[in-house]
Amino acid sequence: MNATQAFARGFESIARIFEFTSEFFARAGVDPRLLPTVDLVVEELFTNMVKYGAAADPGTEVRIDMASVEGGVEVCLTDFGVEPFDVTQVPDADTNLPIEQRRPGGLGLHLIRRLVDSWGYEHSRERRENRITFRKTLAGQPVPENKPTQGEA
Amino acid sequence: MARRGVVVITGRLDAAQCPAAQAFLDKVDGTVTLDCSGLEYISSAGLGVLLKTQKRLLAASGKLRLAGVNRHLQDIFQYSGFDQIFEIEPAP
Repeated sequence: MNATQAFARGFESIARIFEFTSEFFARAGVDPRLLPTVDLVVEELFTNMVKYGAAADPGTEVRIDMASVEGGVEVCLTDFGVEPFDVTQVPDADTNLPIEQRRPGGLGLHLIRRLVDSWGYEHSRERRENRITFRKTLAGQPVPENKPTQGEA
Repeated sequence: MARRGVVVITGRLDAAQCPAAQAFLDKVDGTVTLDCSGLEYISSAGLGVLLKTQKRLLAASGKLRLAGVNRHLQDIFQYSGFDQIFEIEPAP
C-alpha cells in the first residue's frame, strides 16, 4: 500500500502530517508501535526542510510518500526547488558535553541515525529536488514499548 | 497543569507545540518536577525546550527533574545525552 500527500512548508503543517501518518498506519495495518518513531523522524526531516529551505522556490511544498514494506514502512520526503543538502552527512551532536556547553538544536539528525533501519539521500540537479528516504521496521532498531495515540496531533 | 513544584505535561511536544510549552516553563523557578507520565511524544524541538529550561534553572540554583518517563522517552533522552544532565525517574 502507498500514500502520498504534499504539505505547505511551515510548522503549521505538523498536525496534518501526523494525521497523514497515523491514517496510513491504520489503513495499511502497520504495527502501531512504530508510529512514534516514524512521526519523530518525519518531523525532524520536515522541520529541517522548513528551517533550511528558506531559499526554496516560493510556493513549493514538501511531499511525503509512504509505503508499507515487510514489517514496517518506507517513507520518502521530497523537497522541491532547493539546492543540494545531504542531511545524512551531517555529523552527530556531541551529547557528552557538560550542560554549560550544550545548546538547544542539532539533535534531530543525531536521533534519526539511531532510530531508523536505514536512510538515504538523493538530489536531482535538473529538478532541484532533495529526496530523503528512510525505512523503519520491527526487525530494525528497538521500538518504543509505549502505546502510541493514533490520530492525535 | 501545575501544583507546587510539579508541572504536568501531556500529549505531544512537537515543534508546533514548543512555543507554548516554552512560554509556560519560562515562568517556573526553583526545583521543578516535570511529570511526563502523560507525555506521549517528544521531538528534538521539545528537547530544546527542556534543555533551555534546565540551563536557566541550574543557573539560579534550581533544576528540572523528569518523572514518569516511559520507555520510548527514556530511549530518546538517552540518545540525546539527557540522562547525563537531567535527573530522570522512569515510569513505574
